[in-house]
Amino acid sequence: MLQNRRKHFFINKPLQIRYMLFLTVPLLIISAVTIFGFYIGIWGKVLDAFSDQQTREDLLTASRMIEYEQARHPETHQTLSSLSLFKQTEKLSARQREVFKEILNETNRSLLWKFALLLTVIAWGTVFLSHKIAGPLYRFSKAFDEMEKGNYRTRVFLRKLDEGHPVAEELNAALEKTDHLLAELKVISQENDASQAVAKIREKLSNIKTSADV
Amino acid sequence: MFKRFIIFLTGILLLSGNSLFSFASFEPTQEDALLLNKIEQDTLQYFIRFSDKKTGLTRDSSRAGSPSSIAATGFALAGYAIGGSRGWMSPELAYSRLLTTLQMLKNKTAHKEGFFYHFVDAQTGKRIWASEASSMDTALVVAGALLAAKYYPGTEVEKLAYEIYARVNWKWMLNGSDFVCMGWTPEAKFLPYYWDCYSELMVLQALAIGAPHHPIPPAAWKKWLRPTEEYHGHKVVYASTGSLFTYQFSHAYIDFRKLMDKNINFFENSKEATLANRDYSLSFSEKYKGYSENSWGLSASLGPGGYKAYGGKPGTGTHDGTIAPYAALSSIVFTPEQSTKAARFFYENYQKNLYGNFGFKDAFNLDKDWWSDEYLGIDQGITLLMLENYLNEEAVWKKFMELAPVQRWIELTGLDKKLQPSKD
Repeated sequence: MLQNRRKHFFINKPLQIRYMLFLTVPLLIISAVTIFGFYIGIWGKVLDAFSDQQTREDLLTASRMIEYEQARHPETHQTLSSLSLFKQTEKLSARQREVFKEILNETNRSLLWKFALLLTVIAWGTVFLSHKIAGPLYRFSKAFDEMEKGNYRTRVFLRKLDEGHPVAEELNAALEKTDHLLAELKVISQENDASQAVAKIREKLSNIKTSADV
Repeated sequence: MFKRFIIFLTGILLLSGNSLFSFASFEPTQEDALLLNKIEQDTLQYFIRFSDKKTGLTRDSSRAGSPSSIAATGFALAGYAIGGSRGWMSPELAYSRLLTTLQMLKNKTAHKEGFFYHFVDAQTGKRIWASEASSMDTALVVAGALLAAKYYPGTEVEKLAYEIYARVNWKWMLNGSDFVCMGWTPEAKFLPYYWDCYSELMVLQALAIGAPHHPIPPAAWKKWLRPTEEYHGHKVVYASTGSLFTYQFSHAYIDFRKLMDKNINFFENSKEATLANRDYSLSFSEKYKGYSENSWGLSASLGPGGYKAYGGKPGTGTHDGTIAPYAALSSIVFTPEQSTKAARFFYENYQKNLYGNFGFKDAFNLDKDWWSDEYLGIDQGITLLMLENYLNEEAVWKKFMELAPVQRWIELTGLDKKLQPSKD
């Protein structure tokens, strides 16, 4: 267990720091926008409701209508609404409940499109970020498939903003070296003098370490 | 100063009348009579001030943005007739207001089968707030119109009032049942509530049974429930909420003193209900500061938490320390002594917070230091009509009881007119 313990939190410091920024900055922005939106949205509506004379009057009239109904038909029950999410409203009068229900409904409606916009931004951001990783992984995977099939002419080409450029360069360098070696071995194997060819091949392979060397 | 002198003079003249307060042994002092007259006159101003000048439709409350209420408009019609007859409005103004309002009701106000919507736009008469075509509110506006017609016989006012009445299809509102439905909306059609139990329904029943067109069967009168319960020795046919207004609205127009419904006299019933309501609040006088011997009146009104059907026992008895002055005042024909003392008490102790240009504001709650800053049209209306009956020789009762539809209702339902109940 102790052997598997992570010794270095930063294996690739620049990459990790970059990713920390990629994740934290959008999250911070999203959180700030959301909180600000809710704060402004809800309290703006509350203040509107109580400062806009017409709205205030309409709300009071609406609640009065309900109260008249309830006075004439006492058995009328309140329908389930978003207000039932707030336990605090139990302490309010029917009149106050109706006023706040209207405010809440109005706020919910106005926040709906903001939510839709936020979801679109988050979706786009997620696709963008994940693509920076998923794209290179896909290309590496295809390169390995080609190598498995014996095609050493394959190379990994990444987009400018993709992650993994250094790894791709190293892999491409390794592939190039292997490709050259195999190409030379292929040319030597086609020579007429078989014993001379075997000697050349042995020389070329002498620096290559494989499981056969154990 | 001149206004005060006129009020004083009116009071003196009223007090000199032989038949004043003839239905009760209690006689208010000259000072009390002046105060009651002042309250009635001030209360009338609500309808003058809060009715649309072009349409005549009256606002439900004095609050800004309040819609027009059909029931309040009905009380306004009665109010203009009273105001004109008492000299509180010029005859021209009273008549023109009546004509404007009735023309609006007849020609431009939204209705279904003659039933007006509970709340309408004061400028256009269109239905608002998804309100229902209301049977009770229509009855109250028709009652006001018919009363006005009686004050102005042979005029356009009378013609329009009867046209509005004739248009109401009372039978349709039964919806095939034995009871009048409370209302109808274009969305939900007939409401699932019916006037099937004692309440303010009697004036509605009277107009529906006595109607010259589309009446409901007279048998409907006997169908509605008359639940009885006793509280503190007061046996009452009671309304479910125990709200005082339910014992008053029908009595504003109909003089039940000489009418016996089998063994029930509904005038006496309202008197007992008023005393029971007062006793109920008194039993909580240690808990609520606002309840006392002269501070009572539990009825549907505004309160610290909005409009509620406050009431006493018998009934659900919902209360929280809120007193509606209109409730005590509108019981003046039943309990003249207690109601007069209450009026004086409210006026002398709470005038600053409770009394304004249009009489008493709707309610107050001392425990929560809450004072209504509003007047409600229907509460103003019942106050005005009850005071008129009490102060001006039962003027409303006398005129309304002479109406042919009312006589027809009495005849068809077999209400006994022979009995003479006690005077006090």
